[in-house]
Amino acid sequence: MSKANETTQAWPICSRVLAGLLGGYVFTYALTAALAQLLPLDRVDALLIASLLSFSFYTLAILWAFAARSVWRAWAVVPAAAPLALIGFWPHLLERLA
Amino acid sequence: MKQTLTQSMAWLHTWGGLLFGWLLFAIFLTGSLAVFDQEIDHWMQPEIQQTSVSSAQAVEHAVAYLQRQHADASAWNISLPSARMPALRVTAGDRRSGISTYLDPLTGEPLVVRDTAGGTFFFRFHYSLSMPRNPGIWIVGLAAMAMLVALISGIIIHKKFFKEFFTFRPNKGQRSWLDAHNASAVLLLPFHLMITYTGLLIFALIYMPAALDSLYKGDFAAFYREHIDVMEEPHQAQTHPAPLTALAPLLAQAEARMGPLSGVVIEHPGRSDAHIEMRRVLGNRIALTKGHNMVFDGVTGELLAGPPELRPSVLAQRVMFGLHFAQFGGYPMRWLYFVCGLLSSAMIATGLVLFTVKRRRKYVTESALGQQLYRLVESLNVAAIAGLTVACIGLLWLNRLLPVELAQRAGWEVRGFFALWLLSLLHAWLRPRLQAWREQLSLAALLCLGLPLLSAISDGQAWGDSMRLWLEVTVVALGLLLAWSVWRLRQPQMQHSERRVRPAQAQVN
Amino acid sequence: MMTAFLGSLLLAYSSMLALCQGLERHYKQVWGRAPTLLQRRVLRGVGWLLLVASLWGCAQAWGWAMGPVGWFGMLSLSGLALALLLPYAPRLAVYAPVLGLPCWLLLYALAG
Repeated sequence: MSKANETTQAWPICSRVLAGLLGGYVFTYALTAALAQLLPLDRVDALLIASLLSFSFYTLAILWAFAARSVWRAWAVVPAAAPLALIGFWPHLLERLA
Repeated sequence: MKQTLTQSMAWLHTWGGLLFGWLLFAIFLTGSLAVFDQEIDHWMQPEIQQTSVSSAQAVEHAVAYLQRQHADASAWNISLPSARMPALRVTAGDRRSGISTYLDPLTGEPLVVRDTAGGTFFFRFHYSLSMPRNPGIWIVGLAAMAMLVALISGIIIHKKFFKEFFTFRPNKGQRSWLDAHNASAVLLLPFHLMITYTGLLIFALIYMPAALDSLYKGDFAAFYREHIDVMEEPHQAQTHPAPLTALAPLLAQAEARMGPLSGVVIEHPGRSDAHIEMRRVLGNRIALTKGHNMVFDGVTGELLAGPPELRPSVLAQRVMFGLHFAQFGGYPMRWLYFVCGLLSSAMIATGLVLFTVKRRRKYVTESALGQQLYRLVESLNVAAIAGLTVACIGLLWLNRLLPVELAQRAGWEVRGFFALWLLSLLHAWLRPRLQAWREQLSLAALLCLGLPLLSAISDGQAWGDSMRLWLEVTVVALGLLLAWSVWRLRQPQMQHSERRVRPAQAQVN
Repeated sequence: MMTAFLGSLLLAYSSMLALCQGLERHYKQVWGRAPTLLQRRVLRGVGWLLLVASLWGCAQAWGWAMGPVGWFGMLSLSGLALALLLPYAPRLAVYAPVLGLPCWLLLYALAG
């Protein structure tokens, strides 16, 4: 459906809110973990820097959920989180691939 | 026609701002008050006098008392008097749950001080909404995210960012409210962004433990040990009684290294595994040095661990915390934070009011449910803004009005705070809109203006010392501001938009 | 410390004033006529200079670590004060620093 009708209908709004809050959180969580693993720094430094940036990512993810042209695109953050989660929590798998 | 970025962001800003605005106003207002939490604490404990006593003398009195009364406690905690907090307080046992006593810093004798919620209540409410710790912290975190989203979406939709940088056009109804909202938001934007982001960072590892889970499998203790040199507790299998070393030279050593001290903790006093931790007064630097203490052996007086050296990333993190806690820079900086905080709260309030002003005419023709919802929003605005103000100043009044001997007095003060707030919501629902605003703001103004009189009557003397005087002067100034706002609400031009509405519907609130 | 603090505040307000007067709509608001291009450029140039000067003043009051924090606060508050004064008392808004300067000089002399 076109975005112009959306503001008066409940389901697209709820969907975008969930995409932003929950989907955005999942995305941010995965991205922060991936960043923590990828940063070429000491563990402590990587943790602090990744955590420091995380709230910017979350804010952008929430804005994306509402700026995206369609509700489907708003939820793109969730599949986008998958590879990031892989990097963040199963880095040894990637090392085997690389 | 596809919705543009501006349209979607405008929608998000409006509805996100409305839903979280009431909560955010409360968080910002109590946060601003928390800047002066110790000063408010002091005002709410009129039994404590400002005295100037050296830290060595205060510690001597404290240790003598603790030796007499709690010689076998597992730990002694001494809160030293400072410029902002003239009280000398000792706690036997755990710092939070042990037995606390106030001592007269001059004589070392116990003081009877009324149990009060203090300015600390505003601090606790600010980050946890006075709820059990975790749910409260999460809700505040969610509100903070909403604030960030509102700030960025607000920037995106504000097309005339630079053109209208200094623009404020009063007496033009909706236009003026929008100007006020824009001006206070744009001109204080560095503050808004900084305070919101740093606020989130304080509990970052609670809100977003992703990096901790990824790098440490969630083991916070391991991270803590790695990021700061923490002293390993030397484990003594058998401890025996041993006299506590003299504290004065240790105090001098700590003060030379860290500046004025705020407290001393003595673990296992009188035993061979005693150790002494010296806490510094926060504020010599921006970085929040909470927990970065000097530790001495309690029997030999040997320095076991100095104030930890911080690696750059940890220093950066601590600077971020410090920017939010605002303990640095002395009183001038504290006042800057206080005024900016109040103006931020006002900025949120203008947004909430703007929402209703914009829709006032439109909702006259809405369905019955629409009108009730609109009525609810109007009432919530009054209660969240004016009602909360009444509750805050009301807390100070309760502090003087409740009997000193009342058991659980602090709890009753807090209950009174929430009761006032709830009553304000009821009042706002029942009264017509303008009357609700005027009456609640008038009450707040009267309570503020009457505060010096209240304290003079209840204490039997005027303010008592310079800190209380400053607090009362500030409260009176805020009272004058509130009174002025009530006076403004009487002006006829506020009503000019009603002339196009049929007289019968002009009564609609 | 108070002298540096008040001095930076004065400089911050003056810089906001100059930058504001460099905008056509606000110059017109005070003087009733449009500014010339030269006037606008001079005002803005002076505004930026005073801005930097107030940062230096904040650093004198608090040191270079805390100074910038106080500086942002001062700029925001003086900008807002200016925005609120202009519609009600435009001439006062403009002449305030002229009145403030001798007061500050007196304070500076007394502080020694």
